[in-house]
Amino acid sequence: MDPFDVREFWQPWRARPITSVDCLPFHGEYADLLRNTETLAYLIRSYTVHEMTCAGLGHPGGSFSEAEFLAVLYNYALRHDPRDPKWAMRDVFYLSKCHACPGHYTALALFGYFPLTDLKGYGCWDSHLESHPDWLRTPGIEISGGSLGQIPGVAVGRALGMRRNGPDHNDRTVYVLTGDGECNEGSVWEAFMAASHYRLDNMVFVVDYNKVQAKGFLSQDMSLEPFADKLRAFGLDVYEVRNGHDVSELVNLFTQLRQLRRGRPIAIILNTVKGKKVSECQYNPNWHTSAPRDAAAAGAWLRELWEQDGKRLGIPAELPAALHTAIEIVGPLHGNPDQITDRQA
Amino acid sequence: MAQFTIPAREKTTEMRFQMGYALADLAAEHPRIVAVDADLRTSSGLHIFEHFHPDKLVKVGIAEQNLMAISAGLSQEGYIPFPCTFDAFCRRYMDQLYVTVAYGNLNVKVLGAYAGLFTGKAGATHQSDKELGILLRIPNLTVIEPGCNDEMAQALRVAVETPGPFYLRIVRCEVAQNEVADGYRFRLGKGVTVVDDGVDAGIVCTGYMIRTAKAAARKLRDKGIRVRVDHHPSLKPFDRDLVRDLAGKVPVIVTAENHCRSGGLYSLVAETLAGTGCGVPVGAIGTDPDDFIHTGHVNDLLDHYEMTSEHVLQKVVGLLTSRAR
Repeated sequence: MDPFDVREFWQPWRARPITSVDCLPFHGEYADLLRNTETLAYLIRSYTVHEMTCAGLGHPGGSFSEAEFLAVLYNYALRHDPRDPKWAMRDVFYLSKCHACPGHYTALALFGYFPLTDLKGYGCWDSHLESHPDWLRTPGIEISGGSLGQIPGVAVGRALGMRRNGPDHNDRTVYVLTGDGECNEGSVWEAFMAASHYRLDNMVFVVDYNKVQAKGFLSQDMSLEPFADKLRAFGLDVYEVRNGHDVSELVNLFTQLRQLRRGRPIAIILNTVKGKKVSECQYNPNWHTSAPRDAAAAGAWLRELWEQDGKRLGIPAELPAALHTAIEIVGPLHGNPDQITDRQA
Repeated sequence: MAQFTIPAREKTTEMRFQMGYALADLAAEHPRIVAVDADLRTSSGLHIFEHFHPDKLVKVGIAEQNLMAISAGLSQEGYIPFPCTFDAFCRRYMDQLYVTVAYGNLNVKVLGAYAGLFTGKAGATHQSDKELGILLRIPNLTVIEPGCNDEMAQALRVAVETPGPFYLRIVRCEVAQNEVADGYRFRLGKGVTVVDDGVDAGIVCTGYMIRTAKAAARKLRDKGIRVRVDHHPSLKPFDRDLVRDLAGKVPVIVTAENHCRSGGLYSLVAETLAGTGCGVPVGAIGTDPDDFIHTGHVNDLLDHYEMTSEHVLQKVVGLLTSRAR
C-alpha cells in the first residue's frame, strides 16, 4: 500500500473547513465526528513517528501530548482554508511551544497544506520544514518561533488587530497553544495581563499541561500550581480539561466556547500526558528531545500505536508496516573533510 | 506638570518631539499606522502622537517583551506598528526583535528613543551605546540613525512605505531641522557627502554626530586642513561604496558616532576597508566599549569620552601627523 495516501481510511470531517457548525452529542453525526477525530489523532502520532525517525530529530513528548488537541482544533473548531492559507477571514492558530512542530506539521500535511511525503524532509537542509517553524517557508504556519514565551504576546496583538478591524472580524478567534514549562517565562504572564486588560474574548490561550518540561517534572523543576487560580487571578476565564486525550471532552468544550464572549480571554488547561500512547515516552523527559534511534525502534512505536488505536478504529495493519518500511533516514547532503561528529539529541 | 504638555511644533527642536509630530502626520495619511507605548510616551514623544490619534496608541504597560510581541501580532493583521521605548531597553526585547520580528520578517517599525548618550542624566542603565553591535547583525532588519529632524521625518516615511522590520535610533536632544542640504532626499542604503572641502582627511559620521563632524570640519578648514564629511543615516544597509570612494581620495579617516567605538559605525567602516588594501588608517570617535557610562551632564560625558568637535579635530590631526612621519 502507499502509506502516503490516507484517503481510503481518513478524510477531514468537514468538507469545507472555512465554516464550523456546532455538533452536539445528540446529533446523528456526533459519533462519526469523534471516530474521525480519533483516527486523525492516531494518524498525527503515526506520521510524526515516521517524520522524526527520517530526520533523526524531533520532540515526541510534546508532539504526542498535543495530538488530540490538534486533531479537534483542525477537524472541528478552527476555520481555515488549506487551499488559501492566507485567507483574510480565517481563525488563527499559533503553536507557541514551537519545538512540538513535528505533530503540527503532520496535522497540516493531513489537511493538505503540503504533501505527506514532505514530512521526511523535516530538519533537512533545503526542506521547508524547519526544526522550529518558519512561517515564511511552511504553508499553514502563522508565525516563526522557537524561543519560548514570545508567541502568547503575538496572539494578543493579533486579537487586538482583529478587534480594530471592526465588526466584520468579530467572529474570528485566535488560538495559541503554550507549553506548561513555557509558562515559566515571564513574558507569557505579560501576555495574560494584556489580554485581560484589553478584554480580548476573541482569543483562547491553551496550555498543554503534560507535567513534564525539557529535563524533568514541572513539580520539581518549576511548578505552576495553583495554576488555574493564577490564571483566574490574571482575569482569564479558565476551563480545565480533565483528559486532554478525550476527543469528546474537547469537542464539547470547543462547542461551548463558541457561545462565550463575556469580555474575558479564555484559558484552557489541557491535562495531558507527555509522550502519550508510546509507553517508553510517557512522562519521560528523556523523550522530550529525541527521535526513535532507528527504523526498528520506530517500527515498535508504530505497532504500539496501532495496537492501541489503529486496530479499533479500523485502520489496516498494513499501514504501520508500510510507514515503517517507508522510513528513509535522511543523512547530510554533504561530506565533511574534518570528520566532525554531532550526535542526535 | 511641565513634562506632560505638548511642546509647540514650531518651538521645539528636540528630535523626540518632532518625531511625535512627524508620526502623527504620517498616521493621518496612512490609516494602518499605530504606535505602541511601554509607559514612556511623554518622554519618547509618543504623547504628541496620542494627542492627535488617541485611538491609535496601544499601551502595553512596562512590559518590553510584550511591546515587541504585541506589535508583531498587530502587523500580522495589516497594521504598521511603531513600538517605542528607550533605546537602552531594546536589551529587554532583543530576542523578540531577533526571532519574532526579524526572523519572521514582520512589518514592525521600532523606535529607539533616547539613543546613545543623550538621556538627561539617566546614567548607565538608560544609556545605549553598545546595542548596534547586535542590531546591525540581525538579518532582515533595517537600521537608521537620522541626524536632523528633516531626515528623521523622511526616514519615518520610508519606513512606512518599505515593507519589513525597521529600527530607528532617535535622540532626545535638540537637533537642526536640516543638517544636510536644501532639498535633500534621504535614501535607504545611501550615505551623503555633507562637506566637501577637499582631500586632506575624511570624516564619516552617523546620527547626531553629523553636527559635531561639521563643526570639526570648519575648525580643520581654519587650520588649512580640507576635509570631506560623509554622513551615513542608513547603517543597515550600509553604503560601502561611499566609504570605499572616500578611502580612495583621502589619506586618513575618522569615524564619529553616538555609540561605542566597537560594533557600530567604526566597525562598519573598518570591515569595509580591511580587505581592500587601501592602507588608510581609521580613527574612531565614540564611547568606550569597555565602560558603563556613568551619570553626568552630557557635556561631561562628551568630554570624558572625547566626543566633541575638538576631539575630532585632534584625532584627524594626530592621524595626519603619524602618517607624515
